[in-house]
Amino acid sequence: MSAATLGSRMGGQLVAPFRLFRGRPVALAGFLWLLFVAALAVLGAVITPFDPLEIDPVNRLLEPASPHWFGTDHFGRDTLSRVVVGARMALIIGLGTVVVALTLGTLIGVLSAWFTSLGHVLMRIVDVLMAFPALLLALVLMTLLERSVLNTIIVIGIVYTTTTARILYGMSLKLKNEVFVDAAICSGASTASLLFRHVLPNLASPLLVQASFIFAFAQLQAAALDFLGLGLPPEIPSWGNMLAESRTYITRASWLLLFPGAAIILTVFSMNLVGDALRDRIDPRFRDDIAGV
Amino acid sequence: MLAYATKRLLTLIPTLLAASLLIFLFIHLIPGDPAAVLLGDTATPEEIAALTARMGLDQPIWKQYGLWLGNVLQGDLGTSLFFREPVLSVIAEGAETSILLASMTMLWIVLIGIPVGVLSASFHGSWIDSLSSGLSMFAASVPTFWLGLYFILVFAVGLGWLPSSGFPSIFDEGGLANLRYLLLPSLTLAAPNAALIIRLVRAAMLDVQREDHVRTARAKGLSPARVVWKHVFRNALIAVVAAFGFTFAALVSEAVVTETVFSLPGVGRLVVQSILRRDYPVIQGVILVIVLLYLIINLLVDLAYAWLDPRISLA
Repeated sequence: MSAATLGSRMGGQLVAPFRLFRGRPVALAGFLWLLFVAALAVLGAVITPFDPLEIDPVNRLLEPASPHWFGTDHFGRDTLSRVVVGARMALIIGLGTVVVALTLGTLIGVLSAWFTSLGHVLMRIVDVLMAFPALLLALVLMTLLERSVLNTIIVIGIVYTTTTARILYGMSLKLKNEVFVDAAICSGASTASLLFRHVLPNLASPLLVQASFIFAFAQLQAAALDFLGLGLPPEIPSWGNMLAESRTYITRASWLLLFPGAAIILTVFSMNLVGDALRDRIDPRFRDDIAGV
Repeated sequence: MLAYATKRLLTLIPTLLAASLLIFLFIHLIPGDPAAVLLGDTATPEEIAALTARMGLDQPIWKQYGLWLGNVLQGDLGTSLFFREPVLSVIAEGAETSILLASMTMLWIVLIGIPVGVLSASFHGSWIDSLSSGLSMFAASVPTFWLGLYFILVFAVGLGWLPSSGFPSIFDEGGLANLRYLLLPSLTLAAPNAALIIRLVRAAMLDVQREDHVRTARAKGLSPARVVWKHVFRNALIAVVAAFGFTFAALVSEAVVTETVFSLPGVGRLVVQSILRRDYPVIQGVILVIVLLYLIINLLVDLAYAWLDPRISLA
């Protein structure tokens, strides 16, 4: 998904991405970095100087220098190549989590606001799940599941479903009292057409903002799960796994900590900056609903 | 106020019961016979039969839940597979580290977060504001474990100023000086949370500054410092108190990671190790204790909030 195309429709008017970032050079730089990460994710192993999985014991723990610009790890694998292919995993986890959390969260939030008695039950369940701190909930769910990409996405997605549902619930309640909703009901609109044609389009821009923050948080949670040995399978070259593996070698090879870490930080920071810029553009009614960072 | 407190306490009970039901069901979601799961691979058929009878696993599930809840209420959280000790005493062993770590972290959060937030709001729109907002967003974008590893690399390995791992009890040899073991971990843990408080204090101060009573205070000729201190900051603090429940949840999540990075013998590392060891009774017990603590803290925060801000309706 490109934040640009969706972002261009914010507030019902066409706002080009570069206008969105006018007067915010840092946010624009963040947006460009995200485009760069997306390009790396698509191209992946095609553009890496070395095979990211190839083991080369002779050249293990080499300092950053030509031809290994980011050095090599304890198996002699090229760090630059691994950081490049790691972009794909970051994007898959981020987008996957956004899809899970927004789909379930919107469904629960909007339906709870519209059908009061259903809302009582669903929102109580959300309350109970929110009594579990985020990473703890993810850890408990991971104990029940195998380490895999899909399960990591599902688990982090469930964690952010709860916050999304609560935010969407609040926003839908506000919309429910709007005159245009009454007008649609009076003109005989069915509930389905009311929700799809009048409510959801109004929630599109706050959802986009929420999506950017979920994407950022998901990176941090996934990296933490990887680090604890409960995230992606260890053979997958994700940034989190690279950091988890390098832990024992950091005193001898600090570059193993620097480069994957910098990739995570730049990506999360950029997404937060873009989310912040988008939030300032949305309907002021909803601005306080979305917490962000 | 008392009526409000009672009412809030009563609404806590259903949430707590539902959470305990989820935690109880956790053992049943793991593939295999719960008694065998709880006793581990080394269990004999006799032991499994004995635990099956004690837990009432041959009974309907709601009766099992009742039995389990009864045990929990009497402080019996089961026995750790790994330590062969009651779960409650295993958790208690990690409590000192985790409580001290959390207290030190809270100290940093308050000492860094509140002054920087106030400064940022007082110089709203200036370079000070941009710098602190930018830095706090950056701090919130750094993985906790990465920051911890870098601290170890720089301050423990490189400069040799502070120990890199472990924590001997302050009641053992070394006494309070042992707190230096918690310096790097608490700073690691404080970074993202202080960032959150900076943004919160700033936003709350800016909100309060727009209110009528602040304009009145300015109009009657109070000095700017006095307006900020007596009229803005005090009111803004209410919003910060309200955020402490949220901060606690973030703290718990990040303590799990931080205690693992610094090999601290706390409750957070216990969770991770118990998961890796498949020590299910401990996982179940720790989660239960943390959720209970979290709900109690949220309750206290709500009460403090209502007490501090008389505009909150207690109905």
